[in-house]
Amino acid sequence: MSSSLRIAKPDLDQLVSALTSRYRLFGPVDVDGSTVLREVKSADELALGAALDGSVKAAFFPQTETLLTYDGTVSEAPSGRDKPTAVIGARPCDARSLLLLDKVFGTGKYWDPLWQRRHDDSLVIGLGCSAPLETCFCNLMGSGPFDAEGSDIMLTDIGDAFVAESCTDKGERFLKTAYKSQVQRPSQADLDKAGEARSKALASLAPAANYSGVKTALAKLWDSALWDEIALGCLSCGACAYLCPTCHCFDVQDETAPGTQQGRRVRIWDTCQSALFTKEASGHNPRPSAKDRIRQRVMHKFSYFVDNYGEAACVGCGRCIRLCPVDFDVRVVLERVIAEGRRTKDKERGTKKDVRHAG
Amino acid sequence: MPNPYLPLSVKVERISIENDARDLKTFDLAFGDAGARKSFHFTPGQFGFLSILGVGEAPFGIASAPSEETIKYTVKRVGTFTTALHELEPGASIGMRGPWGNSYPFELMKGKDIVIVSGGFSFTTLRSTIVYLLDPSRRSQFGKLTVVYGARSAGELLYKDEIKAWESSPDLSLRLCVDRLDGAPWPETEGLVPNVLKQVAPSAANAVALVCGPPVMIRFTHPVLELLGFKPENVFLSLENRMKCGIGKCGHCNVGPKYVCKDGPVFSYKELLRLPTEY
Repeated sequence: MSSSLRIAKPDLDQLVSALTSRYRLFGPVDVDGSTVLREVKSADELALGAALDGSVKAAFFPQTETLLTYDGTVSEAPSGRDKPTAVIGARPCDARSLLLLDKVFGTGKYWDPLWQRRHDDSLVIGLGCSAPLETCFCNLMGSGPFDAEGSDIMLTDIGDAFVAESCTDKGERFLKTAYKSQVQRPSQADLDKAGEARSKALASLAPAANYSGVKTALAKLWDSALWDEIALGCLSCGACAYLCPTCHCFDVQDETAPGTQQGRRVRIWDTCQSALFTKEASGHNPRPSAKDRIRQRVMHKFSYFVDNYGEAACVGCGRCIRLCPVDFDVRVVLERVIAEGRRTKDKERGTKKDVRHAG
Repeated sequence: MPNPYLPLSVKVERISIENDARDLKTFDLAFGDAGARKSFHFTPGQFGFLSILGVGEAPFGIASAPSEETIKYTVKRVGTFTTALHELEPGASIGMRGPWGNSYPFELMKGKDIVIVSGGFSFTTLRSTIVYLLDPSRRSQFGKLTVVYGARSAGELLYKDEIKAWESSPDLSLRLCVDRLDGAPWPETEGLVPNVLKQVAPSAANAVALVCGPPVMIRFTHPVLELLGFKPENVFLSLENRMKCGIGKCGHCNVGPKYVCKDGPVFSYKELLRLPTEY
């Protein structure tokens, strides 16, 4: 199935044109010193060498998205979809995160039509990580810097060119139609260079710690004093949730133009680190303290998501470490959880005898 | 499948003030066409989101039974949305999404005695349940129905005309109570719900209990149910966490790995004992 070709860097625009003619294309772009995901029209805009600060989830689950518009009566928001969505330059961690988000939005009794219309028929062009960062830990979350999971095509940077390999039928079909005649096959030297980049990247990552015991440990630590200590190292700012490729929580708000009845109902990324996230109209708050909220974040990613979808809601992209204003490090949290779990006897989570509040 | 974020259009047909404090109103909502009402299938215990354009949305338990023509919600005025709702006049058009969530476990309840315990304005989905159970086509499928319902004072009891009629009905045994009698002629029993439940002492043999009420009532009701012999797997409660979507996507209402909106809102006490108390 898999075919590979060589794309010289000056010729990248040919790939981008082929993409933009069929897709609404998103890729990494430098904006004011950060690398963020934006819609792109040409290859010159792309910043493929840099680490993407915002995740690729925004291409499928934008920070703000209209659910409906109103002017006295309700109208369904126009789909805005003239073309399916494609992403170029998704790192393997981000590409994999889309599969996790699809478990939330694309499965179950109720699927999410807004996610679906962007995610259906989409194309993900991954970019292998030749130089993983110190904060990267994809290898500890079950993948790696050249992992193809979630990508339809994978690019490997070999200096003056990319080696492009199809990873799915969809990717294969795209490469065949985009490069009908002028296909340049990679030479053996190119393939050797790609192989070298891969093994160098793997070797540069921290040796694999074993996080397999995290869930078992968490089950014993609901009441642990560990959470008080962990909460002390967190500002509850929620930046991690906005940067996280797998965080999917959202708020819903109405925005009405002043003095009119015209407006829209939008959904907006939200964070469980905010006290308002769970605060009820009565004033009651099931998670009133920062400790409750950081425990929720860790439990959701490494225990509840595993219960519901069979794997952790973390791909090891490391953004929450690299971009945290106070150097909170989730790897340290996981190591402490495992160590504390070893010291703690089995105890059922939340074995409280007191059911406080029920409607 | 229709877009689950789009509210259905409904008309506020009737607004009734329920209590002396006048902060509880019942809204009877009607669909524009009979077809829409017919396709709105729900089971008691489920909830819907009410929507006012420009204000927002909030979830409420459905207080009417499936056999009733209008969809009924009883809402306390506490925040921005509920205040806007309370300010509506009959005839207003609003939106409704749902029905979401599970329901009370009627399959499990078949052939069993049913004990309903409720305090204050939490009685809504239990009213739906009682009307549903009393339906002549259904009543014989269930055993004895015992209801203990209380409020601070007589004026705070919901659905007064209806519960007065139920007091003399042979189809259920209803004990109404108030925290303090303060001279009102009705109801006759003074006492807190857990204490009155203890006096009524319904048998736990082949029985299921449905409990809804304020936190303090719930806390003191569990020991009484335990004393009466109710096992945690036969006691059901309904949770009310803050939520935004109703379909398990927005992440607001989780209690451990469960989402109140799609895995609940009804949980057995046995399930709750295994979950964190984040509700």
